[in-house]
Amino acid sequence: MKRRDLLRAGVLTGAAAALRPPITRAQNPSAAPPTNELTPAQRGVDASKDLAVANWKPLFFDEHQNETLIILSDLIIPTTDTPGAKAALVNRYIDLVLAAETHENQRAFLNSLSYLDGESMRRYKSAFRYLPPADQNDLLHAIAYPHASSGWTGDPPTTNPGHEHFQLLKQRIGIAYYNSEIGTTRELGWDSNFTHGVYQGCDHEGNHK
Amino acid sequence: MFWNLLDQDPLTQTYDVIVVGSGATGGWAAKQCAESGLKVALLEAGRAVSPTEFTEHTPVFKLKYRDHSPEVVRTRPVQKQCYACMEYNYEWFVNDLENPYSTPADKPFTWQRLRVLGGRSLVWGRQSYRMSDNDLKAASRDGYGDDWPISYADLAPFYDIVEKYVGITGAAEGNEMLPDGQFLPPMKMSCGEILLRERVKAKFGRTVTIGRAAILTQPHNGRSACHYCGPCERGCRTFSYFSSPFTTVADAQNSGNCNVITNAVVSHINMDSATNKAAGVTFVDRLTRQVKQVRGKSVILCAQAMESTRILLNSSTREYPNGLANSSGALGHYLMDHVVGGGASGRLPNFNPTPNANEPQRPNGIYVPRFRNTPTSGKHSRFIRGYGFQGGAGPEFDFGAEGYGASFKNAVKQGFYNASFGGFGESLARWENFIEIDKNLKDAWGIPALRISMSHGDNEAALMEDAAATAAEMLEAAGAKDIKTQSGVEMPGMAIHELGSARMGADPKKSVLNSFNQAHDVKNLFVMDGASFVSSACQNPTLSMMAITVRACSHLIDRFKQGDV
Repeated sequence: MKRRDLLRAGVLTGAAAALRPPITRAQNPSAAPPTNELTPAQRGVDASKDLAVANWKPLFFDEHQNETLIILSDLIIPTTDTPGAKAALVNRYIDLVLAAETHENQRAFLNSLSYLDGESMRRYKSAFRYLPPADQNDLLHAIAYPHASSGWTGDPPTTNPGHEHFQLLKQRIGIAYYNSEIGTTRELGWDSNFTHGVYQGCDHEGNHK
Repeated sequence: MFWNLLDQDPLTQTYDVIVVGSGATGGWAAKQCAESGLKVALLEAGRAVSPTEFTEHTPVFKLKYRDHSPEVVRTRPVQKQCYACMEYNYEWFVNDLENPYSTPADKPFTWQRLRVLGGRSLVWGRQSYRMSDNDLKAASRDGYGDDWPISYADLAPFYDIVEKYVGITGAAEGNEMLPDGQFLPPMKMSCGEILLRERVKAKFGRTVTIGRAAILTQPHNGRSACHYCGPCERGCRTFSYFSSPFTTVADAQNSGNCNVITNAVVSHINMDSATNKAAGVTFVDRLTRQVKQVRGKSVILCAQAMESTRILLNSSTREYPNGLANSSGALGHYLMDHVVGGGASGRLPNFNPTPNANEPQRPNGIYVPRFRNTPTSGKHSRFIRGYGFQGGAGPEFDFGAEGYGASFKNAVKQGFYNASFGGFGESLARWENFIEIDKNLKDAWGIPALRISMSHGDNEAALMEDAAATAAEMLEAAGAKDIKTQSGVEMPGMAIHELGSARMGADPKKSVLNSFNQAHDVKNLFVMDGASFVSSACQNPTLSMMAITVRACSHLIDRFKQGDV
């Protein structure tokens, strides 16, 4: 066993002891806080399974928007050795948040989603969701990077007008995925423990290059 | 004789001391006075807080909106500007719809507040630094503004008391700008931070040290050591960071001499004009909207700098038509908040960039004490005073990675080794930065609200411009790549270090309080929070605020013993 592991094991024992119910200290004599002044998280609400219900219906998207988003999200974050955006129900989360956001934010998101269909119609005469995967990929590749490269001509790169839309959609999808249970545990590898010992830092002072 | 306060109606007695506000300073005022035997009423505008509502161990995916709640934005558009106001804990922050304030159109100010027992000590950044005579006597050294009426020698013993009780982790450095204190063992630095420390010292002679923070690295005064879960601002079930409800306020209550009265939104101080003394305070019950009074032989305001001044401004009498204890006219003026917005970040290429989601989370960073306009650096040509840096270096997930698909997914996990410094600059005390009562605006309890007129000036802008350049050169010295600088000035309030507006001073014609935080005009009235600051220095101010409170309380307790209150 390495020194680090020993330290961690020892410290974890200490941390487990520390996580017993809080020591009794003098509390305010008034009663427990009224629940309407606690956040759902402070009340202990677990909303992690809300989106997985069998009869889920979108609150905000129409059917076409929803299906488009499912396909787009899974292209941006596909299933690899870990589940991707579709499995993480990223579309359902984005639907939930947008339904509660400002009209301005709602419009901006739909505008970017429509841009995808607009480009798709222009290039392929078909909406994005009906394209073969290779064409979907080509379309995304064209807008995924900030500058449209001029390739071998050596001309200076030009700003890519579709990139802003791509970024808006990708950012929403990224937040939804990496904050999901699948994203946090399966993809980023969190082991569901809150304590992992004492921060050890660097122990080779003076030897850095 | 044991006198149990809890047996009596809290509002029918006359207390020795009424403390308004239960945060970092109010908790100390209540503890010091109650433990000395004085009878104390501690008034808090909000409710009590229970450890059962801490959410530091709630994973983000259990939140309905995964910490991107539109509800928070709707009710707390101002509070949301604070990094610590989250879907987890937003109910601790004030509802902006109930707590309005105004500003001139060209002078935005963000005022971030909590109204619960403990106030902002529940969510504070915990960084704890002493001031030195380079700060307290800065005016004598560079000719700008006013010296404090106290020196480092006056404060040092009280810093000791506070640090020993609170528990401050840190490393002694012998730095001329940042006096050492009573430290618990320091937290460790990362490889990148050690490299920065070595290179920055070698090339520039500047100190990069581990942050000094009010977090326990070993069991201390009945509280457990930090378990490195990370997000202190959601509460701590082991009470390992300092917050007043579970330390100072608990001590005050345990003494048997302190009544905590929650949901007491104080509107003004009641004066006895015959004796020119404060007789108590009037408050509105937060829940029932009933107006109530509590009587006291002395009143200590610890409501947060601007809230304490608001109470004084709302306490005008015939004798004090422009605000209580304001014969000087200085009340409301010289508002300060550290300037932020200058700094730099980059990637250190020689370290493993891949983060591990199962590493301990250190709730602390690194710190660079001020190195401009010091006794050894000499005077800078473009600005006076200076700034310190908070920063850090370590592997992070690269959520901003380019592209899409499997390569994007992989790039996020691959991560990058980030290093960054953000400056906190001194905010000069200027008369034209001030607060006043907005005659057309009231809060949900009918109490006249503030109008805040503050902007950062040329000196603050020059500090942040310099901070961007020096942050970049320090990162470069450590071999950082992709260095990005930021040299703007964020709106006042963003540092959440509001100071001044009821300054102390030796001259009653130019200041509101004397050197013991006692109003020049009203002998039994004290302001012991950040309102009393004469200058802002550039260090995070809470530790100094607490030391000043303890010093002022020891004076007040002596006065009581001598029957002179």
